[in-house]
Amino acid sequence: MATAPNANSARKRAPEELLRVEGITKIYDGAVKAVDNISLTVATGEIFALLGGSGCGKSTLLRMLAGFETPTTGKIFLAGKDITSLPPYKRPINMMFQSYALFPHLSVWENIAFGLRRDDMAKEDIAERVESMLSLVQLGKFAKRKPHQLSGGQQQRVALARSLAKRPKLLLLDEPLGALDKKLREKTQLELVNIIEEVGVTCVLVTHDQEEAMTMASRIAVMSEGYFLQVGSPDEVYEMPNSRQVADFIGNVNIFDGVVEEDESDHVTVRCEECLHYVGHGISGNKGMSVGVALRPEKILLTKERPEGEYNWCAGEVIEIVYFGAHTTYHLKLDSGKVIKAQELNSTRDLSCGLTWGDRAYAQWSNMAMVVLTQ
Amino acid sequence: MTKIYSYLSEHINGRRLVIGVPYLWFIMLAAIPLLIVLKISLSEMEDTSVSSMINWAEGWPTLKLNFSSYLFLGTDPLYIETYLSSIKYALITTLICLFIGYPFAYFMARSPKHLQPMLLMLIMLPFWTSFLLRIYAWKTLLVSNGIINNMLMAIGIIDTPLPMMNTPFSLLVGMVYSYLPFMILPLYANLSKLDLRYLEAAADLGTSPFKAFWLITVPLSKAGIIAGSMLVFIPAVGEYVIPELLGGPDTLMIGRVLWDEFFSNNDWPMASAVAVVMILLILLPMAIFNKYQSEQAEAKA
Repeated sequence: MATAPNANSARKRAPEELLRVEGITKIYDGAVKAVDNISLTVATGEIFALLGGSGCGKSTLLRMLAGFETPTTGKIFLAGKDITSLPPYKRPINMMFQSYALFPHLSVWENIAFGLRRDDMAKEDIAERVESMLSLVQLGKFAKRKPHQLSGGQQQRVALARSLAKRPKLLLLDEPLGALDKKLREKTQLELVNIIEEVGVTCVLVTHDQEEAMTMASRIAVMSEGYFLQVGSPDEVYEMPNSRQVADFIGNVNIFDGVVEEDESDHVTVRCEECLHYVGHGISGNKGMSVGVALRPEKILLTKERPEGEYNWCAGEVIEIVYFGAHTTYHLKLDSGKVIKAQELNSTRDLSCGLTWGDRAYAQWSNMAMVVLTQ
Repeated sequence: MTKIYSYLSEHINGRRLVIGVPYLWFIMLAAIPLLIVLKISLSEMEDTSVSSMINWAEGWPTLKLNFSSYLFLGTDPLYIETYLSSIKYALITTLICLFIGYPFAYFMARSPKHLQPMLLMLIMLPFWTSFLLRIYAWKTLLVSNGIINNMLMAIGIIDTPLPMMNTPFSLLVGMVYSYLPFMILPLYANLSKLDLRYLEAAADLGTSPFKAFWLITVPLSKAGIIAGSMLVFIPAVGEYVIPELLGGPDTLMIGRVLWDEFFSNNDWPMASAVAVVMILLILLPMAIFNKYQSEQAEAKA
């Protein structure tokens, strides 16, 4: 159901393909497969995020797009042109480096002008472009400073201005907010997206931070061991993960193991050791199949009273309460010994459900809350 | 006991003590000897020893300064010419060392990590043999009937031996050979720390590798270039052994003049004056350069 509107809007925009990667593979030292036969397309104006843990190959993929690494096999096309064997200094692609790599011996102004001076650009045009970049990132006052005289957030904006100055067709961002502290990161995330959208540049960004990927990107590729686990919009990968790995990697999740008992086109039931799931839509599986049922903690309601009916609830003992301010996470030890997490919104100032350590509690959820994972 | 301890901790500042050690070192081994040299340069020669600076006349000490050595330095063109030629040869040596040493250090810093300790050791290896021996070895290579000339004649490239020994050429060969490691080591230390991401960033912004070298690598290794050049230039100005063994009549260097004043003329005040002026000649440009640099740094801050 949730896919329909997304697919429609994508079709309406009729996105023009900018970047196409065909079956790209990178093997190090003849043995280690850093990137394993990845194909992808990125449309003009899109912000595409490569999300994964360290060593998943996301940085190698980005470096191949920039031209710092040559793919072992596969091809890269930018606006229809094969750029696979083009050196980095001939690609119309610019990158914002992790921890920025601003030239320490040059001022902010010279850093931004650096790329422009390499082209045959008139002096006045360079000055004009640098000024407009400085005002775009609101650093006009700092033009004469050296990078080490700026704060982390300011350096980040200089790096962005430098990578946008040449008006690249494609902007690569390598952990763009990794070097900033949490509070600044949240503020900068939105600033960065606003600037990118204002300029209208297409972006590929690499991050290990799922929150960063969710808030900034229009599409996310979840990577592991050199290949894509899932590619989709942020809500798709969160609400409809296609595998246990993705469900586990993006946010918190409780996974119940069970067997499909009923398989109808409008509903399925899954019997697990702890409970009986009634899923309010059909799945691409069949009766008797063993599946995982993924349930996000925030979709669980905790009560002291036993729910009615036989579906979609389980009981257990509260063994841990973690207070986050806006919400509280309860760890519930079910009778089977399995521990699940339930997240309750603190909508009033007294802790709403009134549960405490050692209480017996009932967890319940709606029939549209869970995802049936067949792999 | 606790009283003693609290007294000590109140009156002895550990931090000052630590800073004090290098100061003490500097005062004893640099400042005091220099002052002694300065003192000798301002006295007169009396038979076998130098005159004392302070005379006691009628119970009052009178300071007697003798500037005749310095005056003589200024009037005899030999000294001025020698200073200029010392600086000339030291400068040429520094430039050649930089020219050879930079690519050397660059490729050392870029070579595989496991090879670097061995390359470093190869640079230091010549120090394991006596410096004098190595300079003598050059003599046997460069003389008219030496190995190089004999070989070139055997191949038939030349008919008569090339006059290499006791020329500016042999002097510079010896100087560059001896001082090259002092250029390479600080350059290597600097270049091996260079963050390669700067070069990637430059390439990303459209800079070819050749241009990136001049725009990024060279400016960022400025500190190494300065350190290496100082380490070569300063001792090269006062070098004595190499011009003595490999130089000729037309390669005047101040070290030899110093030697002559001390041991041939036995004129200690004159020799000391020559040394003091040489130190000033080296220190002044360095001081001016330092001041200029710190002023520049402040202006930019």
